[in-house]
Amino acid sequence: MKKFTREAVLVLVAIPILLWTLIPIYHIFLFAISTKDSAFSGALWPDKPTLRNFEMIAQQHHFYLHHFWVQIWNSLWIAVAAGAITLAVATCAAFAISRLKVRGGRAVMNLALFTYFIPAAFLAIPMYKAMGMYGLLNNRWSLVLAMVTLAAPYAIWVLKQASDKLPYELDEAARIDGATPLQLFRLVYLPLMTPSLIAIGTYALLLAWNEYLYAYLLLSHERQIPLAVALGHFIAADDSPWELLMATGLVYALPPAAIYYAFRRYMVSGLTTGAVKA
Amino acid sequence: MASVGFREVKKDFGKTKVLHGISLDIADGEFMVLVGPSGCGKSTLLRMLAGLEDITAGAIAIDGRVVNDLDSKDRDIAMVFQSYALYPHMTVRENMGFSLRLRKEKASVIAEGVRRAAKILNLEPYLERYPRELSGGQRQRVAMGRAIVRDPKVFLFDEPLSNLDAKLRVAMRSEIKALHQRLKTTTVYVTHDQVEAMTMADRIAVMNEGRIEQLGEPLELYDRPANLFVAQFIGSPAMNVFDGVWRGNFVEGLGGRWACNARAQEGQAVKYGIRPEHLALAASGMPAEIEVVEPMGAETEILARAGGQTFNLMMHGRASHAPGERVFLAADAAHAHLFDAATGRRL
Repeated sequence: MKKFTREAVLVLVAIPILLWTLIPIYHIFLFAISTKDSAFSGALWPDKPTLRNFEMIAQQHHFYLHHFWVQIWNSLWIAVAAGAITLAVATCAAFAISRLKVRGGRAVMNLALFTYFIPAAFLAIPMYKAMGMYGLLNNRWSLVLAMVTLAAPYAIWVLKQASDKLPYELDEAARIDGATPLQLFRLVYLPLMTPSLIAIGTYALLLAWNEYLYAYLLLSHERQIPLAVALGHFIAADDSPWELLMATGLVYALPPAAIYYAFRRYMVSGLTTGAVKA
Repeated sequence: MASVGFREVKKDFGKTKVLHGISLDIADGEFMVLVGPSGCGKSTLLRMLAGLEDITAGAIAIDGRVVNDLDSKDRDIAMVFQSYALYPHMTVRENMGFSLRLRKEKASVIAEGVRRAAKILNLEPYLERYPRELSGGQRQRVAMGRAIVRDPKVFLFDEPLSNLDAKLRVAMRSEIKALHQRLKTTTVYVTHDQVEAMTMADRIAVMNEGRIEQLGEPLELYDRPANLFVAQFIGSPAMNVFDGVWRGNFVEGLGGRWACNARAQEGQAVKYGIRPEHLALAASGMPAEIEVVEPMGAETEILARAGGQTFNLMMHGRASHAPGERVFLAADAAHAHLFDAATGRRL
């Protein structure tokens, strides 16, 4: 009985939370399958649902969508590059700090984490200046580097916590077996860290995929910007094509949803690793 | 195979001195057990030999060659850890062949090495399994297999049986001993369990607070402990010890007179030690009252209280005594031990 009551309470709490989360997504979907005229009708289901908006997106048949395919490619390129570089940097750093116990490693990690005390928006201006000095403005690499800077401290911290949980005897056994630090990293550390690596790689990838502010600041050319910035352009006009904006938004949300779905097993276990001392 | 030598080896962790100058020679093919209570420095000494801890001062030599500055991998040793330390993502076969793979041996050499070790340890049916699919005893055997495959000069064991249940521990004890007799590889084995030490060792080094208290063969340590610490550490149940004073060829203590073959100076404060099997129930002697009777089948352990102290007695066979019974305790003078009360040294 007690269990039943507890579950009932949980369900009662879960339903409003679920609705709270799903209603905006439903709205996006509703807009995306509505014609321009019926988009604001307020109905729970459009009279004539249509896929016309998606067709227009695919064929780039609108002023705001002229570079759709280039821009989504930019988004993908930036996200994958940021994910991969963050992963490489954070994995090496975590290995050095946690397993090789490099002197001063913890201090470096704490300094990196310190950057989170300053809101990312404030860092945008110095970052803009730095990218300008290196001549990287309007280059996709500028956004990739900015994203790596923002994602790496957290990534290092999570991976360090995760690797602290691997028994140190494994390293010692490998050393006695004749492994060099590089072999230890490649043959023992990486395979055992795979779940955390997938989680952190996905985290960095999604962070870059969803980034707006830095992308908006650092990239301005139509053919360089990612889709997130291009979507922002939609609402610049007085008569915004909301149905196209929502349809594009829905398309834009699909890759992250797919990635999260594919790696959901690792996301939960990986990102909570080290959150609590086991 | 090789000899191992420690020369005035010291270890400090910051201001804490862990080892105070250990000197120890281990002969080629010998099974040396380092035994002592937690924190006595035995594992640290083993880890220094393995190259996993720096040496603060002194020298460690393997086969006459000082290895202080050599990496673990270049010392030609193999180590079995308490936690097994098997690579969880590798099968038994891969675990055992890992060291050979790192040495870039040919696949056929690796396969043959693994096959030979697996045969010795009866691991053949489990070669394709992962460590998580094995029982504790099997995992420990894989850890040993990993050591055997390398055919090292020295085997190091760091409390390898501590994670096993009592029955398995006894079985693995014999297996390790049998393995040593078969391979004759020099072995250094660390344990806090004196029974393991007694049953497995060629020689035992009893350690306490960063020093070797006594070095010798198991029965030598048992029969002639050099000091009170060794006397009470070696042997189960532990030796009975009480305070007394040497007067006229006897020890006066606990309100009685106790005979002993050893000698002390008249009036000297001493500690009188007698092992449970050298104490008997007799028609006369120290009056005592039986508190507990523990029949174990082949032997019976009796706890009796005399002169305000509890004594352990070990009797062969079965005893028809009951708690509360009044008896007399008689010590076998030929097997009594006498220690200086101030220094704890054997007299």
